[in-house]
Amino acid sequence: MVNRTVRNLLIFAAVLLALGVGSTCRASAQVAVEWDNATCLECHSEPGFSTELPSGEDLDLTIDEDQWNRSIHAEWNMKCVFCHTEITAIPHDSPSFDNSREYAIRKSEACIVCHREQEVIEDSVHAQAREDGNDQAAVCSDCHDPHYTTDPPISHTAIPETCRSCHAEIYDQYTESVHGSALTEGNPDVPTCTDCHGVHEIAGPSRGTFHLFSPEICASCHADEELMGKYGIKTDVFSTYVADFHGRTITLFQEITPDQATNAPVCISCHGVHDIQSADEAGSTVAKENLLTTCQNCHPNADAAFPEAWMSHYSASPAEWPIVYYVRLFYRIVIPVVIGGMLIYITIDVTGRRRRRKAVQSV
Amino acid sequence: MSDDSAQRRYPRFSLSDRLEHWVQVVVFTGLAITGLVQTWSESWFPKVIITGLGGINSTRFIHRSLAVAALIATAYHLGTAGYRFFVKRTGHHMLPGFNDVRAAMRSVSFNLNLRPDPPHQGKFTFAEKAEYWSIIWGTVLMAVTGLMMWNPIATTEILPGELIPAAKAAHGGEAILAVLAILVWHMYFVYVQPFNRSMFTGYLTEEEMYEEHRLELEAIRSGERTITIPPETLRRRRRIFFPVYGAIVILAAASVLLFLSYQEGAITTVTPPPSGSEVYTPYAPATVPPSADAAPPTVEP
Repeated sequence: MVNRTVRNLLIFAAVLLALGVGSTCRASAQVAVEWDNATCLECHSEPGFSTELPSGEDLDLTIDEDQWNRSIHAEWNMKCVFCHTEITAIPHDSPSFDNSREYAIRKSEACIVCHREQEVIEDSVHAQAREDGNDQAAVCSDCHDPHYTTDPPISHTAIPETCRSCHAEIYDQYTESVHGSALTEGNPDVPTCTDCHGVHEIAGPSRGTFHLFSPEICASCHADEELMGKYGIKTDVFSTYVADFHGRTITLFQEITPDQATNAPVCISCHGVHDIQSADEAGSTVAKENLLTTCQNCHPNADAAFPEAWMSHYSASPAEWPIVYYVRLFYRIVIPVVIGGMLIYITIDVTGRRRRRKAVQSV
Repeated sequence: MSDDSAQRRYPRFSLSDRLEHWVQVVVFTGLAITGLVQTWSESWFPKVIITGLGGINSTRFIHRSLAVAALIATAYHLGTAGYRFFVKRTGHHMLPGFNDVRAAMRSVSFNLNLRPDPPHQGKFTFAEKAEYWSIIWGTVLMAVTGLMMWNPIATTEILPGELIPAAKAAHGGEAILAVLAILVWHMYFVYVQPFNRSMFTGYLTEEEMYEEHRLELEAIRSGERTITIPPETLRRRRRIFFPVYGAIVILAAASVLLFLSYQEGAITTVTPPPSGSEVYTPYAPATVPPSADAAPPTVEP
C-alpha cells in the first residue's frame, strides 16, 4: 500500500517535472510572495537611490525603468523577485553581504537557475581563478548587466568593450591591432575576444592545449577563401605552415600527443597576439626587417641568413624559393627515370632469362 | 662443368663485410622508416608508426640516433675500404670504368638476343658497382642535408637560408629514390635473379662465379689473385694507413660534433605565447564599472 503511494507520488512528480521543463525557471524562482515589478520600482526607480555596504562602498540601487523595459528579461515578464528571492517582505533589510563584489559572485547563482547551459564550467579560466581565490574573476553580471541585457546579449562589436573592464591593457593592444582597428571602424568580419578565446567555456591561453590548437582558430578565418577574398589575403597560410617543420610538429602533437607540451611555434608566436599587425605593415613582427628578431625569440643564436630558412608561407616556385623548386623538380624527374630505367632493364633481363631457359628445355 | 667443381666455393665476403652489411641493413631500414613517416606524416599509416614510436619528438630522436649509427658505419666502411685500397691494394675491383658501361649494354643486347654471349665481368658486376656508388653518393648527400637540417643555425652561418628547405627537399627526394632503388634493383639482383647467398654464407659457388664473375674466376684460376705481400711492405703500409685513417675519423667526428653543438639550435623551454602583457588590468574610467549590481535597499516604513 505504502509502496504504491510512493510510486504514484513518484510518477506524479515525474509528470510535473516533465511538464515543468519549459518553465523551470519561473517555477523555481517563485516564492511565497509575488509582487509585481511596479512595487519594487516605487523605490528603485528613484534616481540616486543607494545604500552603504559594511565595506563602506556606496552601492547604487537605481534601476532605469525605460532601459529595464527594453531588456530581454522584461520582455520575458521576469519579476524582480524571481532573482531577488531573498526579498520576502516589504520593507526589506539589506542582505547580508559585505561588499558589492561578494554580492555579484553570490548572485550569479540566480542566473544559473535559468541559464544552466551557460553555467561557467570547470574548465573556464574565470571559474578556475575564482576557485584559486581570485574574487575579481568574472561572473555573469560582470559581462551581462542582469537588468538591461538584450538579445543578443552583447553585440559583436561591443565584446571588446565588455572584456576591457578587466583586461584594459590587452584591450588597448587589440584596438591598435589589424583586427581591433577594423572592428572599431565597424567591420564585422574581424575576430573579437570571444572568437578566439571562446565565451563561457573560455580556456586559459597559457594552457598547452590552447597553444597547440590555436592555429585552427586562425585558420577558421584565414583559410576561408570567401572571407579572405574580400581583403585579398592569401588562404594557403595554414597549409604552407603545416607543410613546414613547425606546423608539421604542431599537427603531429595535436593528433598524437595533445597532452604533451611543445614549444614549436604557432601563428601567434611569430605574428603576435593582441597586437597583431598586417604582415605588410612595417611594424609587423614578421616584416622582413623584424623577422630575425622574431626568429631569435626561439633561436637566440640565429644569424642574418637564418630567416630565409623559413619559406614565409610560400610554396616553392621558379619565382619564390627557386632552389627548393628545382631540387623538387630534379627528384620528380630523376626518381621515375632511374626507377623506370631499372624496371626496363629488369624486364629485359627477365625475358632474356626466360627465353634461354625455354631454349635449353626444348633442346 | 662437373658436379665436383660446382661444389667448390670461392670466398666473397668476410665476416666483417657481412656484419657491416647487416648493420647497414638495420640502420638503413630504421632510417627509412623513421624518415619517410615524417615525409608522409599527414597520412594515416605514418601516423600509426609515429604514435607507436612515442610521438614526433621521439621519432626524430630515433632517426637522428640511427643517423649517428650510419655515420659510424660509414666511418668503419671507409676504414675497411681504405685498408683494401691502400694496404692490400685490392680495392680497385670496385672502381667503375668504361668496361662497366659496355657490360651493361652487352647485357641488354644479350637478353634481347642480339648477342650470343653475356658480358664477362670481374669481381663486381656493373649492377653491383652502380649500386655501391649510388649508396656512397646517397650517404654523402643524406649526411650533408641531414646535418644541415639538424643544426640550421650553424648552417646559415655559412650558407644561405634557402638551402635549409632545399636540403629538406633533397633529403626527402633522395630517401624515396634510395628506398625504391633498394627495393627494385637490390632485391631483384640478390633475391629474384638466382638467389645470391654470399651475404649469408660468405661464399659463391663455382657456377655462380662462372655465370656472374667469369673474369674474376679466370684471374683466380690463373693465380693472379694469389699475390702475397711481403710482411715488411704490409707493415710499412699499415704504419702509414692507420694513423692517417685515425686522424681523418677523429677530425671528421670532431667536426660533426662541433657543428651539431656549435650553437643552440632552438630553446628547449616551453614558453607561453609572447603576449607580454598583464592579464588582469582593470579599466579605470571616471564612472563606476557595471559590476555594481542593484541590491534591495532598506525601505523605511
